[in-house]
Amino acid sequence: MIEAIGLTKRYGQKTAVDGINFQVQPGRVTGFLGPNGAGKSTTMRMIVGLDRPTSGTVTLNGKQYADLKAPLHEVGVLLDAKAVHTGRSAYNHLRAMAATHGIGSKRVDEVIALTGLESVARKRVGGFSLGMGQRLGMASALLGDPSILILDEPVNGLDPEGVIWVRTLARHMAAQGRTVFLSSHLMSEMAQTADQIIVLGRGRVIADAPVADIIALAAGNAVRVRTPDADRFAKELAGTDVTVSVTEPDLIVVNGLAAARIGELAASSRVVLHELTPLAGSLEDAYLALTEDDVEYHASDIEDTK
Amino acid sequence: MTTATLPRTSRLTFGGILKSEFIKLFTLRSTFWCILIVVVLSVGIGLIIATVNPPARAGVPAAGPLTVAAQQADAVSYATAGSQIGELVLAVLGALVITGEYGTSMIRSTLAAVPKRLPALIAKALVLAITAFVVGVVSIFGTAAIIFPLLPGTKKIHPDWTDWHVLESLMGGALYLVLVALIAFCIGAIIRNSAGGIAAALGLILVLPGLVGLIGGLTQITWIENIANFLPSAVGGNLSHYTGTKTQVVSGIISLDRLDSGLVLLAWFVVLFVVAAVLLKRRDA
Repeated sequence: MIEAIGLTKRYGQKTAVDGINFQVQPGRVTGFLGPNGAGKSTTMRMIVGLDRPTSGTVTLNGKQYADLKAPLHEVGVLLDAKAVHTGRSAYNHLRAMAATHGIGSKRVDEVIALTGLESVARKRVGGFSLGMGQRLGMASALLGDPSILILDEPVNGLDPEGVIWVRTLARHMAAQGRTVFLSSHLMSEMAQTADQIIVLGRGRVIADAPVADIIALAAGNAVRVRTPDADRFAKELAGTDVTVSVTEPDLIVVNGLAAARIGELAASSRVVLHELTPLAGSLEDAYLALTEDDVEYHASDIEDTK
Repeated sequence: MTTATLPRTSRLTFGGILKSEFIKLFTLRSTFWCILIVVVLSVGIGLIIATVNPPARAGVPAAGPLTVAAQQADAVSYATAGSQIGELVLAVLGALVITGEYGTSMIRSTLAAVPKRLPALIAKALVLAITAFVVGVVSIFGTAAIIFPLLPGTKKIHPDWTDWHVLESLMGGALYLVLVALIAFCIGAIIRNSAGGIAAALGLILVLPGLVGLIGGLTQITWIENIANFLPSAVGGNLSHYTGTKTQVVSGIISLDRLDSGLVLLAWFVVLFVVAAVLLKRRDA
């Protein structure tokens, strides 16, 4: 388990992480979601002791990272794909990392095979593509067969096959009872991988809930209704807690009523329906709704600065 | 998919960290280039000095036969001449050992594996010191072994391998290379940038002595002249001087013998290492 209490990081005047509290439980995949600059990477660096918190603490299974007896066995971490000397081969990098903990070359070969690096393992890392670098980062993280896995943007630069591989691996590790904590700014990726999601915006936790709950947060559950009597039906549906918008002459979008209820109302009002579609909120919508006020760079700002 | 579980007998040990740093140093091409250049420079320059006699100049009387001690002093200076340029290469290697990790973010992987940090710094310094020592001994004693047999013919100098001071001076030259590499390593750890670290290390070794010497010479201010005598390259030179005097103060100017010079150089390293260690502990990686 990872537990952060009042975790804060300030760089001069700028507060990157602002007194956040969260727990990452074992046995499931916890997603760490937020726009660029939200403080995800800073938080992850603080977890593994690379950045010193300005205040607050973060512990792994009750201990600070620096106090772990065998850090690589307890925590596997992918912070950025290219935290590797570019002049060294992937194999030698892993061998050097393994040596610190007395991990044998058999395990080095294992993680190379596991991450599909066999063909490039003897080549210098400087020539690696982003995807290959990412695979090497994953191999490093898995080297000690850790009980906690912390992955910062693991699918960045991976091909679709690699993305599925990371997803499967994360789920598999969680199923074994390990703690899996991975960050992403890709909402769709999180929807498919994570059980629990912590949303970070401007250094604060804005949501910490199961994936389904986060999706439900997507503003309202809208229903699309297509009917030749659009104007008349819209007037009949409108009421308190129900908003109706006519988007095309024969199309209305209803918020605040279930699709079944709309169908019943149509029948009783003798309105012909050509379409009745519940629009499920996507994680993407939820995420945008949640972080609307918390992103540092708004798309609309680009318009404003013209 | 398999994530075969490991026997959890393995854990973080200092021996493991040391082994890791050895693997790191010797899996980079730059290490081999630096070592090769040091050895080639040492032997090459030694051979040139030992075999080439400058032509006699008209009007300059030929020097008389040298005393036995002067012969040994010359023999030692020929054997260590090349390492005075080689030291710059070892300084570059020393700085790169640590700045290369900052430049590539490798340091994050290193410190994630060794979260207490200090053991990693100590292991790096130890691996560098051992490597520089072997390179220093091989290049300086190797050069001596190659050129000493030539000297009776070319320079009428008869080097004496049984003279303890000859061995001491050659060993001093090798130890100087170790400490230069270590001092550059500390500067690299403090500056954390390859270009800056190398420039600062070479500045301390190469530029500062000339600058302080110039100012001291012009102003004749005693303490400035004394600073020049305590700079790493000045005390380093004393380490391999065959005819070293006892530490003494003559009209306010301090000169150091071999042992004291070694201690001063060691002090340079210790102070810089402590600064590097404190900063490594405190700074974000």
